[in-house]
Amino acid sequence: MLDGNQRRTVSGSAAVGLAVPVALLALTGLASLLIGSGEVGPVRSWREVAGGAGDAEAAFAVWHLRWPRTVVAVAVGAALGTAGAVLQAVARNPLAEPGLLGVSAGASTGVVLVITLGGSVATLGPHIAVTGALLGCLAAVGAARLRGVGDDPLRLVLAGAALSGLLGSFTSVLLLVDQRTADEVRFWTVGGVAGRDVGELAEVTPALLLGGLLVLLVARPLAALALGEQAAASLGHRPGRTRLTAIVAVALLVGGATAVAGPIGFVGLVVPFAARALVGPDLRRVLLPSLLLGPVVVLAADVTARLLVRPYEMPLGVVTAVIGAPVLVAVVRSRRVPAL
Amino acid sequence: MTATAAPPPEAPRGTLLLRVGGASALLNLREVAGFAVLAGALLLAVTTALAVGTVPMGPLRSLPALAGAGDPADVLVVQRLRAPRLVAGLLVGAALGVSGCLMQTLARNRLATPGTVGIDDGATAFAVASVVGASTSLAPSAMALAGAATAAALTLGLAGGAGTSGYRFVIVGLGVGAVLGAVTSLLLVRAPIDAANAAFPWAVGTLNARPTTPVALLGLGLAACLPLALLAGRRLTVLLLTDKVAAGLGVRVRAVRLAALALAVVCAGLAVAVGGPLGMVALLAPETARRVCGPHGVPVLGSALAGAALVLLADTAGRTVTTPVEVPAGLVTAVVGSPYLIWLLLSSHPRRLP
Repeated sequence: MLDGNQRRTVSGSAAVGLAVPVALLALTGLASLLIGSGEVGPVRSWREVAGGAGDAEAAFAVWHLRWPRTVVAVAVGAALGTAGAVLQAVARNPLAEPGLLGVSAGASTGVVLVITLGGSVATLGPHIAVTGALLGCLAAVGAARLRGVGDDPLRLVLAGAALSGLLGSFTSVLLLVDQRTADEVRFWTVGGVAGRDVGELAEVTPALLLGGLLVLLVARPLAALALGEQAAASLGHRPGRTRLTAIVAVALLVGGATAVAGPIGFVGLVVPFAARALVGPDLRRVLLPSLLLGPVVVLAADVTARLLVRPYEMPLGVVTAVIGAPVLVAVVRSRRVPAL
Repeated sequence: MTATAAPPPEAPRGTLLLRVGGASALLNLREVAGFAVLAGALLLAVTTALAVGTVPMGPLRSLPALAGAGDPADVLVVQRLRAPRLVAGLLVGAALGVSGCLMQTLARNRLATPGTVGIDDGATAFAVASVVGASTSLAPSAMALAGAATAAALTLGLAGGAGTSGYRFVIVGLGVGAVLGAVTSLLLVRAPIDAANAAFPWAVGTLNARPTTPVALLGLGLAACLPLALLAGRRLTVLLLTDKVAAGLGVRVRAVRLAALALAVVCAGLAVAVGGPLGMVALLAPETARRVCGPHGVPVLGSALAGAALVLLADTAGRTVTTPVEVPAGLVTAVVGSPYLIWLLLSSHPRRLP
């Protein structure tokens, strides 16, 4: 399990694992501020970012339209990337992605269900999304531990896909039957960061922070769990408790992200995949690059979404699917599928 | 071997030997009983589909109305509204059932259905593209076929062949389907609102639109494909043994595989052109047929019957249970089928999947 690791020196891979993501993050962050689907082009935006040239239109586009969605994209991407890395470690499966396993679908179903029953987005969104994500998470990982499905990573993914499909169609039925809900949550079911403001992000920040804290607590025991149940137990860890904490953390992160941006698939698959390629499979070293690369992927996808169908915008989840599917195929085709 | 010691051979237990002149056929009684059950269920589904709806009438009114007798209003509702929808549902369900049965056998995996390996998504993406690009009634069918073939080729190529590596084929298909689904969304976002509305039925799976030309094409296609599929099914039964044994028994393995795949793709493509991607039917129909008819060979005909009954029941439920809102049949089949798929994954050991 460590053979891919031993070839690199620790300090070298740590530098790569930090420098590359930071550089990419700066680049995509800047691109997100400069590039848009409207009239204000990169040159005018750059003048505004560089020092304010008294261009009111550019100032509006950059600071009122692009800045909030950039901030939201960074937060959502960081949450999804970290959650993906943790969930893959828990399931010991490089394909265990929050979107594929039904966690995001669970979060959206929770939101839609509550609004159908009479709640409102403003008051209930984040909490219900987190609860739904937790249920989706428990269902997927619980299914994985039943009858040894966890032994077969591909089967786990299929179970997750089926669960997502079920929750997704359930959500669609609810939306069809109840027009008011459909109007209120349409943006949730597609997924995207356009038009989100920083205030919405502030509502879910506690959930995201708590999730991040739990990840920090659970990183070491979880990495020990990769050595096997027995080895982890003999090192003084409690596998059952570790796993549960990790799942709660994933639910908080994915639920929070979904509450703001709706279900966005494949980020949790692509990001840890790239992070492992940079620094090797050890979870403790994958976490930081995942945290940084998550925003990179979401920002890049969001900028692409603005450019593909100008003057309209693509749903963000569609772009991440196009980016993520080739990675899925690559993971499935590589011989190392079950070896995480 | 002497001519005197040749009593007429006895039929094995549980089978019936039919002789008509020189021709003979060996019928499995369990299989025959299964077909009878499935046909009965289909008949029941047909009767229900004709009898219920926003204008409720019992079968005593709807069946004569189908023949043109009785209250003119009933005749109008049944002949103009319910019967065309019924025909579309029957054909779509049968085509999806056949397609699913062939795919599952081909990939030796019960999860490999046109829906899970991206064929539905390919057909949908291309059909939507043709509607959004040029609004004609014939083009979507041809485009759906092309899309189904493209998706099948992509999945096969990327997975390195069907039936060789367990779930790889299915997962690669999920990926291909995700990309093609994204293409559909892209097209729907870009399209002007009228074109997007016209293309929407292809994105959900419903019998509400049922354009006539594609239905006719599907009928013709099914009439041509079903006999071929029955033949292919007999050959595929032998392929369920290893390839070497099959080749030893005189089956041309590659040719049969290719033919079965082509038939599956044509059936799925034509079905999507009429009803959009009706999820899970292609998974559930062969499964039902196998359970009802028993484990005898490849249940092509049983899958067709079961698929038709499933789609009719789903459509009828979708348009009656939640009135006045009509739930598309595709959502009904997905809600019913997904738990079954999950149970299937959890309950069966991977090695034992056919």
